[in-house]
Amino acid sequence: MKPLLRRLALPLLLAAATPALAHNPMCECDETTAGEITCKGGFSDGSGAAGVTLDVIGYDEQVLVGGKLGDDSKLTFKRPDGEFYVLFDAGPGHVVEVDHADIGAP
Amino acid sequence: MSRVQTVPHSPARQWWLKWRFHLNILLILVPLGFMPKYFADMRLFRGEDGLGQHVQADIPVGRWSVSLAEMRDEPPLADGPAGYFKTFNAALCATCDEGVKAIYLRVGKPRSLRAAGSILFGSQYRMATSLPIPQRTRPDALLWITIEGWDGNMYQASVPLADASPATAAWLAKQGDKR
Repeated sequence: MKPLLRRLALPLLLAAATPALAHNPMCECDETTAGEITCKGGFSDGSGAAGVTLDVIGYDEQVLVGGKLGDDSKLTFKRPDGEFYVLFDAGPGHVVEVDHADIGAP
Repeated sequence: MSRVQTVPHSPARQWWLKWRFHLNILLILVPLGFMPKYFADMRLFRGEDGLGQHVQADIPVGRWSVSLAEMRDEPPLADGPAGYFKTFNAALCATCDEGVKAIYLRVGKPRSLRAAGSILFGSQYRMATSLPIPQRTRPDALLWITIEGWDGNMYQASVPLADASPATAAWLAKQGDKR
């Protein structure tokens, strides 16, 4: 057992010293079925975003759909008419905007 | 009486046995090679080399002024599926700490305070943020600085991205086919 531990000590130490990961917010939206958009939020360190606010806002700044991401970090909503953007809002200064022009069928 | 027989080693093995101890020296020499970069980084992170590269000094925003600089003179760095990010540093003017609640940075004019961009954090003399740079950004885009005041108002100013970070503008020009 001891030699094994000794042999593993260095790799284990190196593995423990992972670099500090940034956790930038991210959000992807796709039109999954006709007329329905599914947005998935998360952070670049791989963590999910369950419960984070996701609003669909018209170009006139009216909130068209206000919601929170489910346990799977996803939210599905009906595609609004007109011009809008999706705002993934993980707090002030931690937002991602997805413009309606960038949401297409996969 | 037992007799110990010495087996003669090969010359290579003899050389190894004689000199292997001196590998220790490498343990000292290898870190020495990385030291100049280490100290340069430390000076950069502590702000001893100033705010950063291509400093845009004293940009008037409302009744305040903000200095903006890119952390390093380099194109944006990829952060996996989140896209490309560029680190900017900023400082409020030395005597104007009154009334500023938050400062945001964004490529392009913000639609609203909620979507004002990424927030600058740190002391007022040296704040930092990781700014997302969408790949389809036009190289002539503007960087918008938004100050949220404690009075509830928004104060804004902009600088050309190409001035604040020529490397980013050059990188964006190369991304042209992805737009």
